Amino acid sequence: MFKKQHALQSKSEIALRNIVVSGTLIFYLIFLIVPIGIALVGSFHEWNPLDGTYRFLGLENYINIMKSGDFWNSIWNTILFSVVVIFFRVGLGFLCAYAIFSSLIKFKGFYRAIYYMPVVTPMIAVAYVWKFIYHPQIGLLNHLLGTHVNWLMNANTALIAIMAMTIWKDFGYAVVMFMAGLYSLPEDAMEAAKVDGCTGVQLLRYVTLPLLKPMTLFVVVTSIINYLQAYVQVMVMTEGGPGKATYLSSYIIYNEAFVKYNFGYASAMAFILFVVTAVLTVISFRVSADKV
Amino acid sequence: MKKKIQSIVLNIILISIGIVTMIPFLWMVASSFKANKEITALYQTFLPKAFTLQNYVSMNSHFNFMRFFANSLFITITLTVIVVYSSTICGFVLGKYRFRGRELLFGLILSTMMIPWCVTIIPKYTMIKAFGWLNSYKALIIPGLFSGFGIFMMKQHMETIPDEILEAARIDGANEFYIFHKIVLPMSKNGIASIAIFQFLWTWEDYLWPYLAISDRNKQLLSVGLRMFSGQYATDFGAMFAATAISIIPVLLTYLIFQKQFIAGIAASAVKG
Amino acid sequence: MRKRLVSMLLAGCMVVSLCGCGKTAAGDTATDTTSTDSGTEEAATEEAAAVPGEVFGDTVQYDPNVPINNGEDIKIDFWEWGSDELFQQIVDGYTAIHPNVQIELVNNPWEDYWTKLPLALDGKDGPAIFNIHNSYHQNIVNYCAPYDIPTEDLEKDFNGVAAHVIDGNVYYIDYGIMTGSVYYNKDMWEAAGLTDADIPKTWDDMIAVAKKLTIKDGDNIVQAGWSFNDNVNSNYLMGVNYQLGQNLFDTDNKTCVVDNDATKKVFQMLIDAYDKEGVGSKDFGTSATDSFGQGQAAMAIAWGWFNNTLQSDYPDINYGVFEIPTFDGDPYAYNRYNGESTFGINKNADEKQQAVAQDIVKYFLANDELQVKFNLAMNTFPAKTSLADNEEILSNKAMAAIADHIDKYIWPGPVPATVEDSLKIAAENVFYNDMSIDEALKTAQDTINNDLKSKNFEAVESLYKYAK
Repeated sequence: MFKKQHALQSKSEIALRNIVVSGTLIFYLIFLIVPIGIALVGSFHEWNPLDGTYRFLGLENYINIMKSGDFWNSIWNTILFSVVVIFFRVGLGFLCAYAIFSSLIKFKGFYRAIYYMPVVTPMIAVAYVWKFIYHPQIGLLNHLLGTHVNWLMNANTALIAIMAMTIWKDFGYAVVMFMAGLYSLPEDAMEAAKVDGCTGVQLLRYVTLPLLKPMTLFVVVTSIINYLQAYVQVMVMTEGGPGKATYLSSYIIYNEAFVKYNFGYASAMAFILFVVTAVLTVISFRVSADKV
Repeated sequence: MKKKIQSIVLNIILISIGIVTMIPFLWMVASSFKANKEITALYQTFLPKAFTLQNYVSMNSHFNFMRFFANSLFITITLTVIVVYSSTICGFVLGKYRFRGRELLFGLILSTMMIPWCVTIIPKYTMIKAFGWLNSYKALIIPGLFSGFGIFMMKQHMETIPDEILEAARIDGANEFYIFHKIVLPMSKNGIASIAIFQFLWTWEDYLWPYLAISDRNKQLLSVGLRMFSGQYATDFGAMFAATAISIIPVLLTYLIFQKQFIAGIAASAVKG
Repeated sequence: MRKRLVSMLLAGCMVVSLCGCGKTAAGDTATDTTSTDSGTEEAATEEAAAVPGEVFGDTVQYDPNVPINNGEDIKIDFWEWGSDELFQQIVDGYTAIHPNVQIELVNNPWEDYWTKLPLALDGKDGPAIFNIHNSYHQNIVNYCAPYDIPTEDLEKDFNGVAAHVIDGNVYYIDYGIMTGSVYYNKDMWEAAGLTDADIPKTWDDMIAVAKKLTIKDGDNIVQAGWSFNDNVNSNYLMGVNYQLGQNLFDTDNKTCVVDNDATKKVFQMLIDAYDKEGVGSKDFGTSATDSFGQGQAAMAIAWGWFNNTLQSDYPDINYGVFEIPTFDGDPYAYNRYNGESTFGINKNADEKQQAVAQDIVKYFLANDELQVKFNLAMNTFPAKTSLADNEEILSNKAMAAIADHIDKYIWPGPVPATVEDSLKIAAENVFYNDMSIDEALKTAQDTINNDLKSKNFEAVESLYKYAK
């Protein structure tokens, strides 16, 4: 899109620009760059604020993390968790949005509202509710299925159970986002396609989906950032168990930092997680660019 | 006829999903009217066998519910207003002005969204402590003045405001401050609604930071209070569900009231990507 | 100038928070009356009204006639978790004697208390006095000021003080001790045709009784005779080993030795109880205590706190408590115990505030009534020797069960949480992830010893009265 640049920069424009730019810069310098710097330096130290330990270790923290099975296990779990949850969140979210958007559905506001309810319910309470639902004897799920599966204490099902709960809580967000995307589609493009005799499926495949790509990318990227940092559900539902089957990276970082007070070690893990986040974000941008 | 059947089938599917969505939620609300022994009982019923309001009374024995609620409302509204303003003005400058370093600044702001909380929370805590802001609302408000997400959304949103309108105002001799406050701000209603709803929800829910920063229980927030139901040996589920049920009312209301603008705002911001 | 501004602002804040405080306190009392039974409430008000005029206490004494802080107004924070009503009784009693002192209770959720307390103590604004749990000893003790009470005096009045002496100083002691006993459902007991004579003394008896108490519907368990889900680590692997004379720590008091034959034997016994004897299942109920409360399990080993939970959350369960079984009736020790600690005093707090905190501790230690109330409320056996045969104490089921052999329980010291956490993982790995006992215990031991490297923990198992 062509943007006209107005020639004259008025005094007030310069003033406003300077205020905003300097304000933003100062803010991000103090509350982002400096903390990151502190954390980065700290990650090369044995750092325990309780007994005042702050001792240079060089790369030892990073080496220990690389050698630690727990951390790799947690990274694997975190990536698996994120990929599955995002897939279903986006897939289910889109399908529901598309269905609600269709002319066949009258009470659009109603559906939008009920699908959004879990999104606004705090994770802590949701996690406890689902812990009851997964209970091997009194749980709703086993009652419905007629089984006695110990969902959260079985290494094969525990992570899946946590994923299912997270999808339940969060898919409504994707529904609303995709609804927004669908409303903003240019109507002339849709009409033109219909006039050309596009079937519903063709319309979806060749017109709607490509037009929704920016929105999809947006949902995917915000989800990646979100889920790589998830830990509350694990803390409440399994405490990482059975054994270490549901260790997520943020959960062990939280534990290292605020339970064991190994701030240095925790910071080093946090940086590795940051790198993972960045890589996955870039990958999703790439994948979406390739498909254009 | 075919359309009608399709419509019924689709409605049934959507309602089934809706039921799945609502059941855990309704179970929580129904349980908030049950005594704890009924919540954990072997034989479960969906509706309370012995209806009780005790949980809504006893949640006050854990903390002063109304006070926490009011504190949360105050902080959430304050931060939401601030973030809306800061995001809009940053979005305006980044979206409508051309200057050197603009892309760099925008890139920096975008990348802030990618940084996990666990990287910065420890140093942030140390810094806030050094500033002497612990236990004061400064600790909650000042580090939240700007939002990367908000700035991103509003910059995108600015593309929906035609440059011609701004030019016309400039020709009329309006200065930029006037243009922003009297023209751009009112035209950004939808974008504002969308970031306001997100910001409201995030601030309302945010737990870890307020928990670390505030210890005076006259200043504590509701999200932290919700955790006070799990004790050393047992969790008071009934009271927790009761408090949760009430705590989601403000977020739900903001969503329901601004739903239309919210969706329009997101559409304008995110689709242009 | 700036200083004055700050102090004025602070004063303003104080006024605001004072008003706020008054409101909260009033609100709390109002809800107390509805939520707790009115008996304790009345007692509390009575006590608050009656200001003692004379010196009380045994060796550690408290003289209510000595003014504190020269009678000038002072405000201190008192942090605790979970039990507002209980701590309010100290506050009420103490402020009735010293109306110039204002104590603000700050209640924190248990799990988060330990995240936040150390961070708060590491500065000037931390609470002057705070509740301690010894499992977080290492994180807290560096911030504590020693009690200004002679250690000999404490030793005369309280059991187990020696284990709390660090370089001649005492930073906190136990006011009561808690341990594990067997809770059994009396109705199920009767329905299975069992009588009091069947109360098991040995583990073999326990399994035999548990089999009689187990009810199955085909392959599905409907009622477990005995459940230990979710507490294998704390109630068995960290306690029953003592019966076989096996400590948790090596003679250097630093190295954890949970990978040993005695612990393996205990572990194997539990696995056999489920898998071979079928007295319960790892998948029947998520936690032994919940299952017991829900009437799904006939027996469960639990610590004293469970007595409280049963009364408040599961009032319909008709239960009894008996002492933990042993292998041969003559154990080295019956079980591990842990203390409920007295309060810590913040060494970084203002000196005047510290003086008040010291005074509150003395008031608490000397006050028998509070000691009984705290012990009853927490279901702990009083550490104060003069209260060992207190009638009120012995009328409590959990305490009566352990009263006979109260000196045959071991305290290993303020064991860092990693021991319990790592053994929890070990137990889950064995029960749910098919790991062998040997591997699970070895992994746990390695993790524990690795975590202990950075702590200066020292076990006090050797201070046990009948130590070998």
